[in-house]
Amino acid sequence: MPSPDAVACNGLVRRFGERAALDGVDLHLAGGEFVLVTGPNGAGKTTLLRVLATVIRPTAGGVAVAGHELPRAATKARPLIGYVGHASLTYPGLTARENLELYAALYGVPGERIDSALERVGLDDRGRDSVAEFSRGMAQRLAVARAVLHEPSLLLLDEPTAGLDSDGREVLREVLAEPGRTVIVSTHEPPWFEGLATAEVRLAAGRVAA
Amino acid sequence: MNRRAFTALVRKDLLLELRGSEVVLGMLTFVVAAFVLFRFGLGGGRPAGGTRAATGMLWVAIVFTAMLGLSRTFAHEREHGIWDGLLAAPVDRALLWLARACSTCLFLMAVQVVALPAFWLFFLQSGPAPDYVVLVAAVALADIGIAALGTLVAGLASAGRAREVLLPVLFLPFAIPLVLGAVSATTGTIPPQTSGLHTVERLGYLALYDTVFVLFGWGLFEFVVED
Repeated sequence: MPSPDAVACNGLVRRFGERAALDGVDLHLAGGEFVLVTGPNGAGKTTLLRVLATVIRPTAGGVAVAGHELPRAATKARPLIGYVGHASLTYPGLTARENLELYAALYGVPGERIDSALERVGLDDRGRDSVAEFSRGMAQRLAVARAVLHEPSLLLLDEPTAGLDSDGREVLREVLAEPGRTVIVSTHEPPWFEGLATAEVRLAAGRVAA
Repeated sequence: MNRRAFTALVRKDLLLELRGSEVVLGMLTFVVAAFVLFRFGLGGGRPAGGTRAATGMLWVAIVFTAMLGLSRTFAHEREHGIWDGLLAAPVDRALLWLARACSTCLFLMAVQVVALPAFWLFFLQSGPAPDYVVLVAAVALADIGIAALGTLVAGLASAGRAREVLLPVLFLPFAIPLVLGAVSATTGTIPPQTSGLHTVERLGYLALYDTVFVLFGWGLFEFVVED
């Protein structure tokens, strides 16, 4: 039996009230693909990533991650997904290490992995500092560390280069270049991902543009 | 139940509170200020309605104090967009509710460590001493009910636009049976109202309320946070 698609969307619809943010998206990705999702503001990029991250439910249509239908089998899909959103999804009142300890507990990851996660994004010397003291770029690096802490097979990133300085971008590129992972990135900077991306999907008004 | 995740979530709430002092200090100031206002409003001393009126004032003040704390219940998640991180994690939404309800209950109990002696000092110091064991049981049961209901309602309100209005509108009507039970149970700890049979009934009523809202919270929170 062939292995299921890493991501499969069939006529995916997500409405917010009367407005359809996603209006029948069809998307099939094999494992290991690196896909850029592009399009103007309001095209549905963030909504697509949030549905795939199981943060919001689809209104209609089918969506599955590694063969797990959402939202029915979201519990099985969640450990396979790493998500970097617009915000860093970390608590400013906690230190970087404490934030990762929280997420390590939520994902059932051994605490020993936190040191290597911090090192991976160049924050190993800032682990005991409060996230409130972090620059936007450092918070974004921590967000990446949080998202890959549990070694997900599907990584979803929503405009990950925003606010990153050149060092931060280098760190991000190293993490994204790690093999064996399906990556979906929403971005307004496709050229930056040259050499990494294997495909581009353009969204317009909630649909995949031809 | 995922104990490690539960412990980490509660620890996170306690750390944030210890560093920010956003909730407990505000609640404590509010409840003591309410007692002072009651005291001056009544012209000093014991209220005319006796012990029952005094404990009624106590629980009205505590419910409003709890509401103040509940208004900040999901503030970090809302203000910093952290909900998406928690919802994407492979933990049951009910666990998110349970951990937050436990934190809320602990905050409420911390406030009451100061508020209850202050209340006795202001209004009941001339009367007989209460049955402390039953009093602690009654207060703990009432706190569990407030936290269970309040966390569910705060989750619901935090998703809406007019959350400052939604929270009291949703919380207070459901808190009425709890206040009645808490007043009755607290009054029953103070002589001459103490009676073994009635004490069990009163505590049983609070335990039943807790059970209902713990089940509601556990079962409904998923639908509250996932739109």
